[in-house]
This record gives sequence, structure tokens and C-alpha cells, in this order.
Amino acid sequence: MNKIEIRNLSFHYSASEPILSDISLNFDQRSTAIIGQNGAGKTTFVKLLKGLLKPVSGEVLINGLNTRDATVATLARHAGLVFQNPNDQIFKNRVLDEVMFGPLNIGQTPDQARASALVALDTVGLAGKVDDNPYDLSLSERKLISIASIVAMNTDIIIFDEPTIAQDHAGKERIKSIIRALVGQGKLVLTIIHDMDFVAETFERTLVFAEGRVLLDGATREVYGQAEVLCQSHLEPPHVTQLASRVGLGTTVLTVDEFVAAKRRGEGEDRGAG
Amino acid sequence: MKKIVVEGLKYRYPLTQDLALKGISFEIEQGEFVGIIGQNLSGKSTLCQALMGLVPHFYKGGYGGSVLVDGLNVERSEICELAQKVGLVFQNPFTQVSGSKMTVFEELAFGLENLGVARDQMKPRIESAMALLGISRFSQRNPFDLSGGQMQRMAIASVIAMEPEIIVLDEPTSQLDPQGSEEVFQAIQQLSKNGMTVIMVEHKIEKIARYSDRVMLLHQGAIVDFDTPERIFSRDDLADYGIEAPVFARVCRGLGIRNPASGLYPMTLDDAYDQVVNWHE
Amino acid sequence: MKALSLYQDKGTFIHRVDSRSKLLYILAAILIPAVLHGFTVGLVLMALSLFLLVVAKVIRKVIPLVGFSFLILISVVVIQGLFYPGNRHVWFALGGLRFYQEGLVFSAGICVRVLNILCAVSILVLTTRPSDLIESLVRLGLSPHLGYVLSSVLQIIPQMTSTMETITDAQRSRGMETEGSLLVRIKAFLPLIGPVVMNSLVNTRERSLALEVRAFSSRAKKTFLNPPPGGMVNQVLPIVLLLAMVAAVVWRVLQ
Repeated sequence: MNKIEIRNLSFHYSASEPILSDISLNFDQRSTAIIGQNGAGKTTFVKLLKGLLKPVSGEVLINGLNTRDATVATLARHAGLVFQNPNDQIFKNRVLDEVMFGPLNIGQTPDQARASALVALDTVGLAGKVDDNPYDLSLSERKLISIASIVAMNTDIIIFDEPTIAQDHAGKERIKSIIRALVGQGKLVLTIIHDMDFVAETFERTLVFAEGRVLLDGATREVYGQAEVLCQSHLEPPHVTQLASRVGLGTTVLTVDEFVAAKRRGEGEDRGAG
Repeated sequence: MKKIVVEGLKYRYPLTQDLALKGISFEIEQGEFVGIIGQNLSGKSTLCQALMGLVPHFYKGGYGGSVLVDGLNVERSEICELAQKVGLVFQNPFTQVSGSKMTVFEELAFGLENLGVARDQMKPRIESAMALLGISRFSQRNPFDLSGGQMQRMAIASVIAMEPEIIVLDEPTSQLDPQGSEEVFQAIQQLSKNGMTVIMVEHKIEKIARYSDRVMLLHQGAIVDFDTPERIFSRDDLADYGIEAPVFARVCRGLGIRNPASGLYPMTLDDAYDQVVNWHE
Repeated sequence: MKALSLYQDKGTFIHRVDSRSKLLYILAAILIPAVLHGFTVGLVLMALSLFLLVVAKVIRKVIPLVGFSFLILISVVVIQGLFYPGNRHVWFALGGLRFYQEGLVFSAGICVRVLNILCAVSILVLTTRPSDLIESLVRLGLSPHLGYVLSSVLQIIPQMTSTMETITDAQRSRGMETEGSLLVRIKAFLPLIGPVVMNSLVNTRERSLALEVRAFSSRAKKTFLNPPPGGMVNQVLPIVLLLAMVAAVVWRVLQ
């Protein structure tokens, strides 16, 4: 069953400036990245998924629920959104209380909420900081707390807004493994993101948004093979993909390992001795 | 000519126990492009602010060692003096907008007004800064109406208008989309070509490898290494410091290819292409 | 995003007059009718202000302001007409209520004075860019740091509203209810306070650093990008206004 169905979705604040135009999409359980320039409508799209905005025309169905009819709080049981800036969200003085806030709101009992929170904190690697004050922790740790707060809500769908901004290499690896764990649990993970390399390594499906429309939709590998279309949206394929295409490797390459393997198989231009 | 000389720089933020910088020493030549890398909390931002005098003058805290910027001793100079030698650009384009000016042109004048620059000198300085950063066409726009990349270029221009010869950028493209990032990197490259000494902290490792003359690797407040990008990114122990080498270097490491002349891994797309294409199992 | 200001850019002659003169005009509009009794002076000044507002093409914006104060002024007129302590002569009766001449005259005087000030202040507020006004004050001696705080607040507060929206969205999307009984809505406030304060502190800290980099703490004498407002009008007007005020006081004293 499609977890999210979008039918002819359009949105604008004033008719002369459309933000999203006639979008129809289905999301199953494949992890999906949404890429595109700022202003292409990605953030608006995600707000429409969460019911924070209602469609001007068309329908958004989350696990069968129409966002026009359901409240934001009801939809929050099905889809969680990790906001970009953890400071926009954190307000409790104990990490555990902060992570329990979401679960309690959507109807978990205090015991259930506490259990969910502890599991979530373990998933993000902060099990040792349960009683700390979030304001005493670093920005990266607060980011992980904001992720845990949503994971603890045990929703079927989790959406990330720019999870890798200001993260160093270790931070990105941690977020990658969190996403993989969530995908392994059968959840639909969506993200808005600018980091093309991260998408190549982590997400099965990629959507390219441009000027309120979906320009490309498909397996990440296919989408990344379309260099000219990406270029129109001021996007570049990941560095390894660029090198692979320059060297003439057969398929679109997404990771360093793939490149090495392909080259060892003898693919690509060969100007060496032979 | 040594533009920046740092000796034994130590610093501890107020109300903390640990040193953020544990005795750093290095020198930077005029016109060099230096990239600074290191995992989060390794002291990169603290170092940037120490080059400008925000450390120690803004934060106070415990300070040791010395930083000489274009002959000025940072500890004994005021920030406004140093602002004419060094400019600093931060991550967040939005919080670098003063908020008190209604047009980009006036925004660039803000620093000049504070310094007491004569009015007839302001206009030429502002116009040349805008031209350098490619934002002349936004001259009459409200600063808050710009995109992230444009706002960041305006922040760089406002600092350039004060005519420092050194510019320090602390993760300038961290919060920008790919197009905005590209605009900013091009602008920085142009500044470097014009002879400016550039010091840039970045996580976008391929960009650091491409633009830097030398790269400084920081870890837990100390310098691990300060050398050319080829040497730094060919190290085998980068993972210990939370760093990943640029993709091109990793590809070549995976294939066992090194640049025959230097024994090091290639850093850029073009260099990697040259090496890979000639490779044969 | 628009700054918090009522400024209308119409490019008329009035717009080009220096803030100093407009501030003195407001002072004159308050002082002269107060010093010289009688309606006439107040009405003349009000007519003058309205005329200037028409010349400045901003008269339309004044109507809502005047309209709003009318409601308050009508209530003043009614109350004074009925209950003013000095009431002796009935002017007219409405229903069972008797309106006295003294009270009505007294309240008419208040109305004229209030409308006068309103119109004079409107000239300043509707035809001067806030940053220019504050720059004039700084030239007259206001601390530049305070001037910065005043002018930046006008632009930064509207920006903060978008942060508030994001924070509210973030908490709603964690299931926090915002609609319902008063108690529910009050409880909904609590998860907003922490992030709003935190964000403001973080932004203020970052902005302070950026200002320092632009030599904000410099003790050098500040210069201004914009030349000081020149021209005959800006030299002569303040003098004319000051003389008018002095003349009014002198006249009063001689009475």
C-alpha cells in the first residue's frame, strides 16, 4: 500500500505566484530524497504532507487519511518531521522529558512514552545523556535529540529537513546509520537535502523539484545519470559520479566502492599499456 | 612576507575547564589560501575568532601565547583596529545582516561609518566591493530580500569594503543551497586571485582540496598537520581525526594509484581522471 | 519582508525635508495652540498639517488613523458634554440627555489639540524613512549604539515572526494542540517560549559578533554615508519654526 498518495496537488498563497503546480506522486516504503534549489517548493511540499498547510487544490493522503480533514495532531501519529534547527524545538530541561513530549501528545501512556524515548535515544547514540539538560549539550547532540524526539513517536513515516547541515563527517555517518535503521524497521524515510553525495549513499529514490514541479522521479541511480537535467536545476551529480562518467564507466556510479569495483572489472576508457 | 604569525596560542572560554586551543603555532604567507579542517569542536571556529581578536576581547576567558596579524599583536589591539587588517565571515548569512539599513549599498557602508571613513571614500570602496562579489545589481534592494547565497556575498562584501588584506571564512556555505555555495566559492576564488590572503574552514573537503595552497588539520584544539592538500589527504590516519579524504583521493587509494611524481593521491577531478584513465589492473 | 514602519515613499518635496524640521514642527504644533488660547490657532495649524499631508500624497493613510481616534474623541465629547463640572448652559437635548455648552466647548478644544498633534506626527512618520530619522537623531547627539538598536528593531522584529511560525509548526507537528479551550491554548504557549528565547539569544549573540567584525565598538567619530540634509529650506525652516514658537510665547506673555 502506498504510504503517501498525492493527487494533482497545487498550492499558492496568491494565484499569481504558484508555489506547487499539479503534483501527483506516490510514496511506498523506499527511502526518498527530495532535492532542488531553494525556492523550488520542497519545504512547502513537506508542510503540506504534515497538514501544516492545506492544499489549494488536489489531495494529500497520509496512510489513507486526507490532510484536509485531519488535524495536524492526528497526522502527527503517522508522519513525523525533524526540523532543520533543533533550537526551534527543544524546550524542556531534561533530555528524557524532551524526547517524551511527542509520544505523550499523540496518545502513548507515560510508560510507553518513556520506553519509546529510551529506545529512540539509544538509536541516536545518546543513551548516556538521558538526564542531562539539552541546553548544556553541543549543537550536534541537540540535533540528535531532535531526531530522537521524532523517532520516539514511532510514526510510519519520518521526514528530515536538511539533516546534514553543519554536520562533520562523523555526524553524517551517524545520521546515515540512523536512517538505515529506520528503513530497516519498515518506515518510509523522506528527506529534503542539498548534499548530493549523502543522497547517493543513503537513499533509494530521488525526486528533483524545480519551480513547483517534479522534474525527475526515480531510482537515485537513474536520476543521477541525467546530468543535463540536473544542471538546469543548478545541481551537480556527486563527485564520484562525475569522475565515473568522465572515465567512461558503463553504469552511473554512486559510491567510491562501486567505482573501484567497476574499474577492477575493466570498465571504462583504457589508455594504459595493454 | 609573513602575514600571520601565531605562537603557542592557548585559549579557554570563560566558565569552562578545558582548553579550546592547546598551544597552536603556525605562520601564513601573504596571498596564501589556507583551508582549515577538523571535526566539530576541534577548535576551528575558536581559531578563526582568535585571528580577528574576538578571542579574547569579545569572550574574555583565559588567553596565552601570541597572534600577530600584519604586524599587530591581537591581544594588545582593539577589534576595530584589527577589523581593518582581517575580515571574518560566519556561517549564517541572516545574522550577519545589521538590520539597521534599508538597502544593500547602505549596508556595506555600515562598517565604514563605524570606522569614521570620509564620505568621499565610501562610495568607491562600496562599489568596488560589490563588483568583486557580483552583487552590484542588488545595490538598492533590501538586504533581507536577498537569497542565502546573495546575502552571504553581501556579508563578504561588507567586510571587504573595510579593505582588510586577510579574510577568514568560517564554514561560509554551510547553510546555502548548491547554487548559493557555488556563487560563494567563485567569489572567494576571485578574492584569492586578487592577492587576498584567504583562510577558510569548510567541511566540503573536495573544495578545500581544490582551492587551498595548504591545509591545516586540527584535532581537539591542536594542530595535527599543516601541509599541502596532497600530503594531508594522502595520510592514512585521517579517520582518527574524523576526516574523510576527498572522493578523488579515495578512489585512487582504492585502486592503489598514486601520482608517480609525488607518490601522493590526486586531489581534483582532472588529476584523478589523468591517473585513473591510465590505470590497468 | 517589510520593516515595521508606516513610511510611504512618494518622493514629494515634503519627503525631502529634514527630520529635524519635522520634529520641530511637531513641537510647534503642540506648543503654539497650548500657549495661545482659542480654537482658531489650533484649527489653522490642523488645516496647515492636512494641507501638507495632501502635498505629500499621504493623506489617504491618515484617514484610518484619524478615523480610529474619532471613536475615542466622540466618547470624550459625549462624556464632557454631559458631565463636565463647569456645565451651566444647556445647548441641546437628545432623548432625556442634556448636553451643556461648556462641556462641549471644552471637549472640542481637546479634539482639536489631539487631531493637531496626530496630523503633525503623521507628517513625520509617513514621510520619513525610519533609518533617516534615526540618523538625524544620531547627528543631533543620540548615541550611535542606541540609534542602531532603534533602527534594527524595526526590521528584525518582522523577521522574528517567521521564526515564531517555524517554532509553532515544529511543536504542532509533534502533536501539540493549538486549538480548543482557553486552557488548551494557554498550555500551547509553554513549548513556544523556550525556543523563541533560545533562538533570540543565539541570533543576538551571532549578530553581536558580526557587528564587532564591522567595527561597531569603534570609538572613532562616526561618519555618515548620506550627506547632511542641505538646501535653503532645511536651513531656514528650523529657524522659522523656532521663531514662531518664541513669538507665540512672547505674545502670550504680553497679553
